[in-house]
Parts: sequence; C-alpha cells; structure tokens
Amino acid sequence: MAFLIAPAAIALVAALLAAAISIVDKIVNNYGEVDISINDGKKVIKMDGGDTLLSSLASQEIFIPSACGGRGTCGACKCKVTSDVGPHLPTETPYMSKEELSDNIRLSCQVKIKADIELEIPDELFNIKKYKSKISSIRDVTHDIKEVTFDLQGEEINFQAGKYVQLVVPPHNKVKGYTQRAYSMASRPEDKNLVQLLIRLVPGGIATTWVHTSLNEGDEVELVGPFGDFFRSETDATMICIAGGSGMAPFKSILYDMLDKGETDREVWYFFGARTSKDMFYLEDMRELEKKWPNFHFVAALSEPEEGSSWDGETGLITDVLDTFLKTKIDPEKTREGYLCGSPGMIDACNNVLSKNKIAPDKIYYDKF
Amino acid sequence: MKMTPAMRSAQESMQPGVITEEGFLGDEEMPIVDMIVRDEGEMISLGLSFEKTAEQLSYLLKEGQKGLGEPVTIDDKWLIRVVDPRGQLPCPFKDGLFHKMTAEIIRKSTDETLIVTDMSIHLFLEHHFIEGKGSQFRLEPQLLKRILFD
Repeated sequence: MAFLIAPAAIALVAALLAAAISIVDKIVNNYGEVDISINDGKKVIKMDGGDTLLSSLASQEIFIPSACGGRGTCGACKCKVTSDVGPHLPTETPYMSKEELSDNIRLSCQVKIKADIELEIPDELFNIKKYKSKISSIRDVTHDIKEVTFDLQGEEINFQAGKYVQLVVPPHNKVKGYTQRAYSMASRPEDKNLVQLLIRLVPGGIATTWVHTSLNEGDEVELVGPFGDFFRSETDATMICIAGGSGMAPFKSILYDMLDKGETDREVWYFFGARTSKDMFYLEDMRELEKKWPNFHFVAALSEPEEGSSWDGETGLITDVLDTFLKTKIDPEKTREGYLCGSPGMIDACNNVLSKNKIAPDKIYYDKF
Repeated sequence: MKMTPAMRSAQESMQPGVITEEGFLGDEEMPIVDMIVRDEGEMISLGLSFEKTAEQLSYLLKEGQKGLGEPVTIDDKWLIRVVDPRGQLPCPFKDGLFHKMTAEIIRKSTDETLIVTDMSIHLFLEHHFIEGKGSQFRLEPQLLKRILFD
C-alpha cells in the first residue's frame, strides 16, 4: 500500500490547489451585479458581471451579429461603448479603423463586464431572436448548392426581404466549438414559420461542409436573426439586381415579396450568372415570375456553356452582359438603382460597370461582408 | 532550431479553435520553425521559389475573382472558383487581416485540386509557412509544382 501514498498525496495537493483557485477566482473575479444600459437607458439589464459583453447580451436574448461565436476572429460583433471599459485590447485593434478606435467601437466578445456599462446598438437588434428549428427539407438545386428549409416549430420570424440569419454549427468531427455562419434568407417574409437558405459548398469551409455532408432532414438546428441592412428602397426606381450562385437567395426573397405585396409596377432587371448549365438553377421559377410580372426581366448568362449545349440565353461574364444591357436595353432616362449581393471582389466588379453606366454610387446597395 | 517568442505566440494562435476551428497545423505537433525549415528544403529541392509561386497563385486568384463566385477557366489550363464568405481572419503572426477569400484551383488536364486562401498566400510568401501536413489548406510543394508549373 505504501506505493499509493505518493500519488495520493499529489492528488490531495492538486485538489486543494484547485479548490483554492476556485475560491480565489470567486472572490477576485466577483464583480457583483452590474447595469448594462443600452441606447441612453432605453433598456437596462441587471446581471452578474464577469462575462463578455457579447455573451451577457446573448443571455438576455440580445444578439449582436457574430460569425465566430465569440472567439475574436471574425470582427463582426462591433458596438459602441460610451462608458469607460479600458483601452482597446490587442485582440480588437486589427479589426478597427482609426475612426472606429476614436469612436470607442469595441468588439463585444472581447469586452469583459466588470462594472456598469453603457452602450449603443442599432434598435433593430432588439428584434433578433434565437430559433430552435427543424430541417424540413434539403434539396440539391445544383451539384454544389443545397436549398435547406428550416421549420421554426411554431415560432415566427419577422424580417425585411434581403436580410440574413446566422446558422449555428455545433461541434462535429475535428471542430470542437460552436461556430456561426451568415446566410441570406431565400424565403418570403410572408412565410413566417420557416426560413430557407441556399448553401453552396465552400472548399474547406466548416459550416458548408457540415451542411453538405452531415445535415439531414429532421435534424434540429439553431438559427439567430434576422440581421443586415440590405433591402430594397421604397422608390419607384428601376432595380438592377446582380448575383451568381447562392447570391440568388436575397433576390428570390425580395422578388417574391414584391409579388406578394403587389409592387409589380416597378421595373426590375435581374442578372444572374453561372458557368455552365449545371450551375444554373431556378430558371423555371424565374420564367414563371416573368409571366406574372411583365416589368420583371430575368437575364441569365453562362460564362462557359458546354459544347453542343441547348442553352439559348446570354453567354459571357455577367458583368459584360450587364454592361451591354445597360447600354442598349435599360432605359437610362429612368432613375436606376443597383442591388448587389456577394464578396468584395464581386461588389467592386459590378460597381465599376454600374458607375461607368452613370448609376450614382449612393444608388448602389449591397450587403457588406 | 530555437523558437522565438513571436513564433511561439504564432504557433499558439495556429491551434484548432483559436483563429480557425481546425487550426493551421494539421496533424503535426512539431515546432513551426522546424516545419518551415523542412518545407523550405522541399521547395528548394523541387526548384520552386516562394516569390514566383506566390505570384502565380495571386495571378490565378485575381483572374478567378472575375467569375464573381462562379468557376472560370484560365489560360485553358486551370478551372478556378473563388468564393469569399463573410468575415475576416487575423494572421497568426499578427501582421495582417485577411478576407476569407478561398480559391479552388483545378488543373484541367489532371483534375488535381489545390485550395488557396488570401491568408495562405500571405503565410506562404511572408513567413514561408505552408501549414502542417494534414491541413486541408497546406500548400504541398509537390502539388504546387504539378498544378502550377508542369
């Protein structure tokens, strides 16, 4: 039995140390009850301090957009803190512009609440909820894009067409923590009990790989939203919408919403690019929409149609097709607005074409990534 | 070879769950300085230069962006799709912030595929770090040679 004495002694010392650390942590890191005052006291939350601002707000059902789940790697969870919470941390500064630093914009996942705090967030964040959904259908719309429909199980989502939700990806395989990824909603605002997303497989992407390989109908998945400031203006200007691939999602939502609301006097041109016919989808739906809505024009283009293909639509890069239509078919006398959804590269390329065709920069709307 | 404090800090940031869920080290646990030395040796033995390789990768990425998220054929040799999911990532060496731009580069004649990101080109060129073996973003020198230069 003597051989057990040394390990037992070590275990006892370790247990005592752990207990001591736990007690010290409770004393040193006990910040007591704190007030979180939002938007000049419009809402005041009382809660125990010690957690990050992002988590503390989330525990009160106030969700700041975050794509990394609070690890400080996405730079998305910015908000303005108007009380003193100390200087910016080195983990925050890489994500901040000079203006943001001087305005005391902070990453809410990096700010620990140790005392009363005052902050400003957009009012619409109060409308954001977490939904426990069940996958009601998964459909391949192309070889690498899935249309996933989430049943909100009796809950309702209220959103403007064009907004996005965050899909919560649980730990799986090598992925140890929860991750969130943003996807624009393809569903109509009128369908309040469901959310539909178009999810394209991104090479090496954690969330999209999970959706494409592990997600099944009937699975329960959390969604957080709605977020974003991409939606159509309330004018009668001609809308020029441009997308490719899963960028179809917000436009599908916007177009069907306009149809639902009878906004069919408005002229809309929708340019949608794909490489080959196997990358093209929703063609029939868009053609049906054209029949119901004479002012809606769907211009689909293939950049590399297969040899011998029966494709009779436009060919070439969608930016080139857009340029041609702007010069020859779309009335330049009418006010025109550009609507873009995509990466910074896509936004830049389309912005160039729209600007060259005299569409003012302040009339070009896009969802900044 | 000795790890500097900056290298040690970078290696900690490369662990799974710090900057990215899967990290940058793949299945390897050795100090990154040893990985860098080993991989520099392989680049030299294959006759590859970091500068020229990074230049070629950047060229393909730039051309691929013209597809606006759709695949495009470049110089009749490569099929490239560039996607740019939301968000940015900081370099583990703390010298830059990068969009999550990701390119899938397929050599059409062999169907061999390489995945490249803005960040991986930066790590490759500025730090000679090509990620650990087992990482899906590792720029394996032999694969680089076959896909880019053969």
